Amino acid sequence: MKKLLGAYIQDGRKYIILQENGKVVALEGNASEFKNSELLKNRNEYVKNVLEKEEIYGDDVFDFRYGPVTSGVGEAGVYHLYTYGERILSVKIDTSYKRRALDDKMISSDINDALKLSEEICGNFAISHSIAFSRAVENALKIEVSRDIKALKAIAIELERIYNHLYVISRLAGAAAQQVLASHLMGLFEDSLVVNKIFSGSRYLIRFNSIGSVLRFPSHEELKDVTDKVKKIKSAFSELYKNSMSSGNYIDRLHLTATLSAKDAELIGLTGPSLRACGVKEDLRTHDEIYRGIKIVSDEEGDALSRMEVRAGEILESLKFIQKTVDNLSLDKAMPFISTESGEGIGWSESPSGTIIYHVEIENFRIKSVYVSTPSVFGMSAIAHSMVGNIFTDFPFAVESFGVNFSDAAR
Amino acid sequence: MICIYFSFLFFALGALTTFSKRLSYSMATIASALAFVTALLGMHTTFASGTYLLLNGFSLSIGMDHTSAIFLLIASISWFAISLYSIDYGMNYSKKMPIFFNAALFGMFLVLIARDALTFIGGWEIATIFSYLLIMEHKHSFKEAFEFLAFGEISTVSLLVAFASLYLKNHSLAIIGAHGTWIFLLMATIAFMTKMGTYPLHTWLIGAHSRAPSNVSAFLSAPLTLMGVYGLVRALSIAGQPEWWGVAAMIFGGFSAFWGALQAAAAKGLKILPAYSTVENNGMILATLGLSVTAYSAHLAVLSSFAMITSLILLFAHNTTKSLLFMAVGHAKEALDEDTIDNVRGIWTSVGKIPAISILISGLSFSAFPPLIGFLGEWMTLEALFQSYKFPSMLDRLSAAFVGILIALAMGMAAFSMVKLTGYTALGYDHGKKARNISSFTMKLSEMLLSLTVLLAGLFSPYILKYFGYGTFLSGLFGVPKPFLIVSSHPVFGVVSPTFLAVVIGTLFLFPLIFYLAKSGKVKRVSAWNGGIALKEEEYFTAPAYSFTLEYIMRKVYSMKEIKHGNKRYVSVKDITTSFYNGLKHAVEIMAKSLSLTLMNGHVYSYVLYTMIMFVLLFFMVK
Amino acid sequence: MKWWPMVGISKMLTEDKKYESKARVKKMGIFRRSFHIYTIDVGNSNILNFEMRALQTPKYNVHRFGIYFAASPRHADLLIVLGRPTKKMVAPLLETINQIPEPFGVILLKGCGSSGIDLDELKLPNVVASVNGCPEPSEILAILLKISGRVD
Repeated sequence: MKKLLGAYIQDGRKYIILQENGKVVALEGNASEFKNSELLKNRNEYVKNVLEKEEIYGDDVFDFRYGPVTSGVGEAGVYHLYTYGERILSVKIDTSYKRRALDDKMISSDINDALKLSEEICGNFAISHSIAFSRAVENALKIEVSRDIKALKAIAIELERIYNHLYVISRLAGAAAQQVLASHLMGLFEDSLVVNKIFSGSRYLIRFNSIGSVLRFPSHEELKDVTDKVKKIKSAFSELYKNSMSSGNYIDRLHLTATLSAKDAELIGLTGPSLRACGVKEDLRTHDEIYRGIKIVSDEEGDALSRMEVRAGEILESLKFIQKTVDNLSLDKAMPFISTESGEGIGWSESPSGTIIYHVEIENFRIKSVYVSTPSVFGMSAIAHSMVGNIFTDFPFAVESFGVNFSDAAR
Repeated sequence: MICIYFSFLFFALGALTTFSKRLSYSMATIASALAFVTALLGMHTTFASGTYLLLNGFSLSIGMDHTSAIFLLIASISWFAISLYSIDYGMNYSKKMPIFFNAALFGMFLVLIARDALTFIGGWEIATIFSYLLIMEHKHSFKEAFEFLAFGEISTVSLLVAFASLYLKNHSLAIIGAHGTWIFLLMATIAFMTKMGTYPLHTWLIGAHSRAPSNVSAFLSAPLTLMGVYGLVRALSIAGQPEWWGVAAMIFGGFSAFWGALQAAAAKGLKILPAYSTVENNGMILATLGLSVTAYSAHLAVLSSFAMITSLILLFAHNTTKSLLFMAVGHAKEALDEDTIDNVRGIWTSVGKIPAISILISGLSFSAFPPLIGFLGEWMTLEALFQSYKFPSMLDRLSAAFVGILIALAMGMAAFSMVKLTGYTALGYDHGKKARNISSFTMKLSEMLLSLTVLLAGLFSPYILKYFGYGTFLSGLFGVPKPFLIVSSHPVFGVVSPTFLAVVIGTLFLFPLIFYLAKSGKVKRVSAWNGGIALKEEEYFTAPAYSFTLEYIMRKVYSMKEIKHGNKRYVSVKDITTSFYNGLKHAVEIMAKSLSLTLMNGHVYSYVLYTMIMFVLLFFMVK
Repeated sequence: MKWWPMVGISKMLTEDKKYESKARVKKMGIFRRSFHIYTIDVGNSNILNFEMRALQTPKYNVHRFGIYFAASPRHADLLIVLGRPTKKMVAPLLETINQIPEPFGVILLKGCGSSGIDLDELKLPNVVASVNGCPEPSEILAILLKISGRVD
């Protein structure tokens, strides 16, 4: 199914970014043919349920505002829950508080500075953003990247996936009052941040990626340390996960909470683990030769439990992938060869919560225009859609299970 | 005795001084004060007027005995407060209103002092008809007023049947010292339960009380329903105290309390909530009366008299507190011209501190907050029900236990609904809506006096018990000096002392708080925390949202439906008794229509046939 | 030996590692035994948000120092401002500071981002520490301990 993930105007002509069968393409076209076009138009201000036709009203319906400063949301953003008490009737998510206009700031800056800005968009998706951006630039400037560099970047992105998924599952466990599980997972989360630092020199993998290469090559000792630690995390997580799945009251809270059907998910434009939890076996990584042999984790029900299970499965897959890839790494420090200084290209990456897409136009090593498509925008719309009919107490499960960030959505 | 006549005089003067509304209401106030004095005198001595002979042996007579005196005492307190309140409040309404008002009070007065059925019915009808006219004073309240009148007439008709049966037995219409049959008791009970507005005869009460002008709501809800209780007590003294009546009254009362509290919790209307609270309170009164009768028939004299005084205390609490609540809520409603709980938010700042405190005090009293009088009433109710294990009959025990469950639930939900009412109206943040400037001196004075009554009645409740003639339930124990301890039985079953609770609460919490507040000079005051930005009008948590959880849990009982109508979303909650009456109404309409089509279809033959059938029927009946 | 349940463990008994920070802070003696923290995100890149979560993991076990995270600024002693504010977050930030009971301290973690308003321009009251960049949890803990006067 064709999915609209972005729309931009270049030289007065309308373009749309589509994803279909594992390919991301930018075409000339009209976004308004897609149901989620409104979402892309307003994403700097707010995100709504795009499948909701008109606004809900009623004498007793009021706006239960959650944010912008709350310990529950944690980020500078607002959830407007429309309700007549307990039952959530409609959701509107205000992203404007966190809008830093980083994509606007990239324009006319040097490509390396723009790369840093892309990492700043969302700290916990830093490497995903960075890789999507660098790929777009590499495509624009026709830069060839060696297999080992690609492998290093893939390891980095999988490390990011692991700590983000651990974080999400820990938050879900905490919301279900499973404090022991949550604390254990948070411990593993901290451990995986330490692995990141050993691997890249940064706990959040920033200033690691560069255009055509990486800024830092880990040593053999460091790589060995990484595999050792990854092994420990793997065994610890497998055991925790197995035990957690036998806890009835934990599973009950997640089961059938914030359910989303595959059809709705695709109309919204959802990607990533949340989509795979609806039974759609779609993962852009499988079309990449580096990831040969990786298994797509998916589930059928499309509820918070499915999303949690998919994320847990992905953690184990990613850990396996890292172990395998590190063993076959030869660490060739070849520098990229740059042939042109202008061009246009599109780049993507499979971030922990879905597809990140950058479309860049480069003139003289400077960014002429850039369009960023982030998964959190679609994730938030999916939250707004799936939360309708649920009650207040389900709110944390719906929000956390989609793994969205305001900084990612608002840029 | 002379006071009664003076009362009559002032009521009459009040009804006649049509030129000045204020003067007319002042007359009512004076008359009420005189009625109060009458009651005080009546507490000590019994007196009766001579009989005024009408034709054929029928005679009229008024007088005062202990029962009358207690009820008159309770009623006259709210008459006084409501009349005082009306001096200013009445200025917003027509010139006819004080006439009806005086007449209605006079009717009630007559009911309480009647010694024969004719006077009683006379007073009853005067009160009903003028109340109907008073409800009509509010615009667009014809339907509610008519419903009130319809139920009022059901009550009168049942009463007529009851008195007819009384006459057949005694060959006299005197109600003092008469003896009645079970038919008399049954019909009288239906009549008085209708007036009390207990389940399932409560539907008229909700519409009428919420639609009427607020001073009228206050007197409909408090003193007028008190007439029903008075009637029941009288009827029981005439017809003896059979066990079946006690059990039935307990069950009806318990169910009524439960139902009233349940519906009050879901109410959205500013005056609908107190109206349902009346159903609840009258249910409790009926249940305790029933308990008293059951205990009496089981020869448990102590329990019987404890349940009786419980009933009286509940009555006193309800009468004063409900008058106060309706007055204060009405004050806000008039000043803000709004009629839902949500829209009058922030009475404290928008209308004034006195109405807000009055709502708070009455709300606390209804939620059984010690040491207010409502607390004592509810404590005594539960305490009386706990003693049902003493009943020899299993049926009595089971029904008392069942009623106990219903009443305990009712008390919990009453507290829930009162939190809703006071929390949103008196204490909530205001809308920034400006209150109308109405002259409100006597309104505030009356609210203040009644608030004080509710508070002091709680504090000095042992004296009320003693004054009503139930001094046997007072004692001193555990260092509490006599007579500040109220005991629920002999030998001692349970004890409470609102006075000493107040002292304890005061010394432990209140005085330290006052001391602390007086001492700490610098307090940082900020607006409420709302996630970093000010709360917008559409972001306030609404009152229906507060009770939604309860409505959802009890969705079968409420027949709660979450309705999606296009993009409109709302919750519909029904009092299913109303559906029953609506169905009845509908059936009658259909029947009337089909009758009119078959009989009055314009054909001469059918008229002739109809007339002939009627003639034959009448012939047989007369014969 | 101290009666630790009453007074808390003031020494780091379980680890040899010392928490160190070069940041200059103003000591607040009144929070020596215990204090409650409220964090506010005003537009950082999420790294600081995650570091604050990481600080709450069992690895750092901040409760042994009497450090707790409050759910509302009204319960807090210290406010940690994460990042440089976006324009829309300035008013909520000021309101949050307004809600904290006296006495309180404000810690500015300015983050590693390049966007946002300079916090120094806002002239926030009671600033006890101001740190550039994204400190790691151990360094944030060191700053907190320094403010309380537990370490120098």
